[in-house]
Amino acid sequence: MPVKGIKTVAAARNGVGAFILQCKRLDFHYCNYGGSSRGMLAFLTQTLPNFARENPQIEIRVSPRHSKHPIIKGHYINGREKSICVRNLEPNDILAKAMILKDASGEKLKVQKKPVTSLNESVRGIWSPYHGDLRGV
Amino acid sequence: MKRVQLQRWSSTVLSPRARTVSRLHQHVFATGSRCQSTASPLQAESSAQEGPGDAGFEDVELMKHVRSAHRRKDMLKYPSPPVDAALNSAKLAALHARLYLPSRLPPQTLARALVDASADPNPDFNNESLATLGHDLLTYYTTEHLLCTYPRLPLTVIFAAMYAYAGPKTLAAMAREWGVEHASLPGGEVDPGLLQFRRVAPGSDLSVATYNNRTPRPYAAQKAWRMTVTSKIFYDDEFGDAIKGPATSGEGVTAELASATFVRAVMGAIYLHAGRPAAKRFFEQHFLSRHLNIAQLFNFSQPARDLARLCARENFELPVARIISETGRKSRHPVFVVGIFSGKDKLGEGAGASLIEARERAALAALKGWYLYSPLNVRVPSSMEEEGAAPWKPVYVDLGEVIV
Amino acid sequence: MATSIVASKRPFLSLPFLLPSWSDSLALGSRRYQSSYRRTKQRLRVKPDATFGSSHQGHDQIIYNPPSSAPSVYHTPSKFLPSNDARRSMRIENAGNATESVQDLPNVYRSDPERKYHLTPADVEEIRKLRLSDPMTWSRHKLAKRFECSPLFIAMVCEASPEKKQIQRQVLEAVQSQWGSKRRMAREDRKLRREAWGRDE
Repeated sequence: MPVKGIKTVAAARNGVGAFILQCKRLDFHYCNYGGSSRGMLAFLTQTLPNFARENPQIEIRVSPRHSKHPIIKGHYINGREKSICVRNLEPNDILAKAMILKDASGEKLKVQKKPVTSLNESVRGIWSPYHGDLRGV
Repeated sequence: MKRVQLQRWSSTVLSPRARTVSRLHQHVFATGSRCQSTASPLQAESSAQEGPGDAGFEDVELMKHVRSAHRRKDMLKYPSPPVDAALNSAKLAALHARLYLPSRLPPQTLARALVDASADPNPDFNNESLATLGHDLLTYYTTEHLLCTYPRLPLTVIFAAMYAYAGPKTLAAMAREWGVEHASLPGGEVDPGLLQFRRVAPGSDLSVATYNNRTPRPYAAQKAWRMTVTSKIFYDDEFGDAIKGPATSGEGVTAELASATFVRAVMGAIYLHAGRPAAKRFFEQHFLSRHLNIAQLFNFSQPARDLARLCARENFELPVARIISETGRKSRHPVFVVGIFSGKDKLGEGAGASLIEARERAALAALKGWYLYSPLNVRVPSSMEEEGAAPWKPVYVDLGEVIV
Repeated sequence: MATSIVASKRPFLSLPFLLPSWSDSLALGSRRYQSSYRRTKQRLRVKPDATFGSSHQGHDQIIYNPPSSAPSVYHTPSKFLPSNDARRSMRIENAGNATESVQDLPNVYRSDPERKYHLTPADVEEIRKLRLSDPMTWSRHKLAKRFECSPLFIAMVCEASPEKKQIQRQVLEAVQSQWGSKRRMAREDRKLRREAWGRDE
């Protein structure tokens, strides 16, 4: 056999063709008695239905968490989760926190050093000392 | 070419039928017949209302409570979730929205695509038929893309590229990237948004299962015999591997295989409910958009010899290796840049630490230059199905790979 | 002055670009004996290529500045393009100043093997008979020398007898059994590296 094939897996590029939202579930926890949950209770009754309607990709769970501060927990496709404590926050601020969790990729935050990260080869190739316009030394 | 109206026959093929007699006997008091995913929701409603003891209870509240309890008990009897449960699953609705599936595809069908044959052996309720259709579509679209874009690829590389685009490993990775979760055990009470399959028992030997395949290849048991590439076209599947027959009931499947079947079933479901253009768009967005460097799929054993054969076949001058530049010939780390020339034309070049290495790499670059030729303005045959497509021009067809 | 003593040991004449600063600093009384980062960078700064200059302004022109990288395999050589491909005619115009000096480049091998095609079927029969009758005397190389062809041709025409192959395998095993771990590993690495060429790694 003159040439053999090497079996690999094509790498995913989220957003090049289809975009899959990385946040798959948001858990909203509240307490019926605690004062820090007052904003959360208002958020759940007033803002959350609209938020859920605008983001059908996210599964939303609401559950009480007795005698604890209210939190929002996001579950991501890569298996990680992120949670934000929203004690004593107003409904608008809680919406902002929920948006943060919705837009996150689930990865740990890290410094992006390059403006573009790509799997594609650079157009001009990898620089080689033996090619191009050689100058005599 | 005229587009076939699919919506009509898809409903006749998948018409609602009662379950098999044997299972009806098992639970006579069950809530009537199970309805299929493509059945109208009205029928599901009516069948749910034919529950036991409709006349026995006056109190509506109590009746509702008892009925829900009965329903929960009934659900345990089914191997997979009932169809009307799909409308109440948040996970399923989220998955439907996450994939931007067409609204003509009902959540019931998506729920059916999530039930593997190992979970529910009844072909009316598992995803086997959808997966068969989806698999054929996937391989067709991938093949036409590869053959039209790179008409000179050798067959072994086409197999590898097919595997990379539509192989089970890639499909399983896609299901993972779509956020599909697995149910630990299938059953009627499970959330229909989870992938349901019966797992392989721990400790079972997977290699034995693959050996027990039902390949049409004669003398398949003779492992030492040479298998030609041509015979792979006739006897093997589209990835150049031996064909595996349908799994017998009771056997589990691996998570990879179940995920791959689910992705294929989604493809088939889109084709049935939303038609061919939607299926093609889904393929382009989810499959073709993945990154694959075809140049890295080649594994040559003797590139210089192959190149000489190629040049003889195409009536080019004999390839000659010439040194373009070099440095440190007498040092510990020499570098030679060697080009392969046929007459006055350069076919390829490569750099290496020895003359032999540089020549081999140059020959390899030249061969890849030949095999990776791609015509301008590539069109695939299925583009003719679009509305107002330009007249078809024949695509470039190559003589075939180099045979040594 | 400690610094001046240390500095005077350096061979100034071998660093001619330091000379002016040395002469200046003599007058001032203090002197630098090391280039600063800024000065080194300044010397390494190269002027842009002449084609980028403003001398060509006013005409339509294309600046051809080939990348200093190995050519991509996706760039099909002109010879490999089919006759009806549009790229073929485009490149021919460009290739007017093609390198006439291809013949001047040195060959990887000292000389091209001359192809004579002089052996007859009777000769081939003779080769086979000799190889089978006395494999120890008539090795590939000896046969090649006698019939004035390459050892590769001998291998293509006939095969060694099984006994000879067995003996040769035993010889090889005896030699390899003498190898230590270092040599064995080096040989294995060499083999792996050679396989990596085929995958272009």
